[in-house]
Amino acid sequence: MITSIMHDEMKSFEDLAVNFANKELDKRREQSDKYPFVPFENTVLAKAHELGFLGITLPEDLGGIGQGISTLCVVLESICRTDASLGALIFTNALAQEIILKSGGADTLRGIASSTDPESALIAFPAYSDPLEHKDLPRAAKSKKGYTLSGSSSYVVLAPIAGHALIPAKIKDQEGYSFFLVSLSDPKVKKGEPVFSLGVHACPAADLALSGAEAVLVGQEGSGPACFVGAAEKMYAAAAAIALGIMKGSFDYALAYSNEREQGGWPIVNWSEIKMILADMAIQAKIADMAVSQACSAVENKIAGWDVYAKTAALHIQEAACQVTTDGIQILGGYGYMKDYGQEKRFRDAKQVKTLLGMAPLRKIGLLDQLNAK
Amino acid sequence: MISGSEVKSIMKRFPRFEDAYLGLNYAPKLPKAMVKETKELVAYARKFNDQVVRPNALLLDRMTHENPDYLPHDLMKTISDWGFYTMWVPKIFGGKGKNLPSLSPVIEEVSTACVGIANVMGVNYLGLSSLMTSFNMRITNRVLSDVIEGERTGDPKVIAFAITEPIAGTDAEDMDLVDRGRVITRAEKVDGGYVVNGRKVFISMGHVSEWTVFYAYTDLKTPSQNMIGLVVRRGTRGFSMGRHEDKMGQRVCPASEIIFEDCFIPDDQVLIDQYSIKKFTRKTPAEVMMRHIDFLASSSKAGVCSIATGVARGAFEDALKFAAETEVKGKLLINHQWAQCLLAEMHKNVILGRLLYQETNYANSNRGVYDLLQMKPVFYYLKLMPPSYFKMLEPMVNQAATTWAMSKMYFDLKKQENVDICSGTASMAKFAGTDIGMRNCQLALDIMGEAGLRQDRGMEKRLRDAKLLQIYEGSNQMNRLITFKGLIAPTVPQARVFEQ
Repeated sequence: MITSIMHDEMKSFEDLAVNFANKELDKRREQSDKYPFVPFENTVLAKAHELGFLGITLPEDLGGIGQGISTLCVVLESICRTDASLGALIFTNALAQEIILKSGGADTLRGIASSTDPESALIAFPAYSDPLEHKDLPRAAKSKKGYTLSGSSSYVVLAPIAGHALIPAKIKDQEGYSFFLVSLSDPKVKKGEPVFSLGVHACPAADLALSGAEAVLVGQEGSGPACFVGAAEKMYAAAAAIALGIMKGSFDYALAYSNEREQGGWPIVNWSEIKMILADMAIQAKIADMAVSQACSAVENKIAGWDVYAKTAALHIQEAACQVTTDGIQILGGYGYMKDYGQEKRFRDAKQVKTLLGMAPLRKIGLLDQLNAK
Repeated sequence: MISGSEVKSIMKRFPRFEDAYLGLNYAPKLPKAMVKETKELVAYARKFNDQVVRPNALLLDRMTHENPDYLPHDLMKTISDWGFYTMWVPKIFGGKGKNLPSLSPVIEEVSTACVGIANVMGVNYLGLSSLMTSFNMRITNRVLSDVIEGERTGDPKVIAFAITEPIAGTDAEDMDLVDRGRVITRAEKVDGGYVVNGRKVFISMGHVSEWTVFYAYTDLKTPSQNMIGLVVRRGTRGFSMGRHEDKMGQRVCPASEIIFEDCFIPDDQVLIDQYSIKKFTRKTPAEVMMRHIDFLASSSKAGVCSIATGVARGAFEDALKFAAETEVKGKLLINHQWAQCLLAEMHKNVILGRLLYQETNYANSNRGVYDLLQMKPVFYYLKLMPPSYFKMLEPMVNQAATTWAMSKMYFDLKKQENVDICSGTASMAKFAGTDIGMRNCQLALDIMGEAGLRQDRGMEKRLRDAKLLQIYEGSNQMNRLITFKGLIAPTVPQARVFEQ
């Protein structure tokens, strides 16, 4: 993010995140990317929890550190330069927290976020879709204790490791959907095998099969769409920051490599065709930097149209990250395609996170509808 | 309307008629039986997809993630049992002799289901092309006889191709660059052959091939004039496998590091060197080796374009199926106008990809390395004569005079403009086709949203597989320059390629 708009506290968080990424993530990236074929690396998660990264935007009285969206974006960008998996994990948890806060369910969070056990502090959520995209959401029925959920919920991010999941479900004969919190240790919640995904492998996901699982209603019945939109409008900036971090990581690595690798008798950075590719990458990364900074500023200060800024930034930067990371491989040639280098992972991660908060084409159409309505 | 001399004069201007309408110029010469043969082969490939590729593609991909050292021996046996390793080996070498351009639509077909498996099948033909375009008939016959024997005994013996070096990828593929690069594989002439030291990297199917065609340099200071082609057999002393690369995609097809440590290659395994070149031409070794690489690339890049077209089509078919079955925001995705337009765009890309590799094959058939085999009399002669007849011809194939005549015809007498048009067209097909393949994968994933991200749905694997297409057979950046060199620079005398 542009340094000039960062206040001192944000800069401290940036330093913290950069040091953490260099010290903890870089060396583990290749191994942790092998999940689900190796065990989940929970050492990194524990350290991230210690640093407060699982509650950056959560109020302090709920166990968080009470920062704004800008700080969340600074941390996500810094982490995702090295490894976007942890960024997607932090994002999903923060999104679930934000939806619960929007629903007025702060009390629900109190015991969860303050847990000393990092996995118990996590809330799983199907972060790669807008619930309205799904025809078959789980069904919710009233019970003596509250509600029960039945049916299936697909691609619930963090489900293999989290203590709870926030699940969108439909109440019979009601329009829209509602959010419910379920315990993932409930025997009536069956987790499928971890989903083997395109990218961010170390941010696990699983399908859930619910058969009368006990659930707590979050907010009001039928308030799901409004709560999701309310949370998403803010979290688009965070999704954009993830893509920005991936993009910057790809550019930095490609530039360094192009100064070392020789072809035709001199470093490849001297070939004008390579310069053009690197320049395009740099331009996209710089524009993205400005867009995230502006989006954060708009969200924090609630300037007119703040919700459109963040949504637009996310759409633009997520698309740009896909192009930048494919070029990031191309600069390295065959080496860029190998797992020993970080570039192929950044390429996969960029495409994976493009779908955060729902299908990109539908979000584009939604943006236009929003602009047209104003 | 216009006189014949005017037509002749006007059509000499850039783009010349015969260069701009490659397919139209070849159409009258196309043997009719080739169409039926190609149709049968495409049907056979679809059957192979139904019975072998689709049931195994995702399982094998997953298996290679669970065990990165996995090698596809069982798959090779199945491919061999279906006859694919000898399908396009010319009858004169004992194969089934199907027309070489038909390899492209078959590879497209298999690539719709799995690019990795298409490569486990197709890399053998990269090896075959490198042998055949050396025009060393005796060694080609020897190696291909072994491939035939492997299929007969159920123990597949396939051919790998090795040119890329650890610090010389692009440089190793062009004689204008290689002297400025840092190649390391050295061949020292000794009595009876060469002793080779060095390494090659990213060699597809290296770990599982019986034969490897490779290149070395007798003088590392001026490699362009000292490049030689050789073949080495698995198990040869001093020849070993290094790393089995951990790739993003196409994982079922291993990429290998191969190592030469004082490896003796006898003279009867030298495909082409400075001594053999002197026998048929006054051209420099660099000019001849550049032609060899151009001939080889003109056929192999049509192959890469056909793989990319298969990827593009597979992505389109995945997205179409998903859109037809999935309801989004109250109606089927297929009935959202934006999705219809994206699907139309993807379908267009498939057709464009196919046109590109077909046009390249027409260039090769009319003016390039396929021209002899695709001439109607030769085509029908080879098609109609029984295998026993070709067995009788084997002693003639092994004659030095046959190698001399073929080398003379292609390396010495063939017009440079024909080499350029084939090489330039193939390079254009390679970079344009593979960009199209990638584009369709990206679009399909956009249409499929969350579902597209799961390995068990197949689409994300296509994207992983597709990316390598923009890198191997020369990066797309290199291929743009070769397109410029072959199709554009000859029309602009002052143009210089690869100048620093």
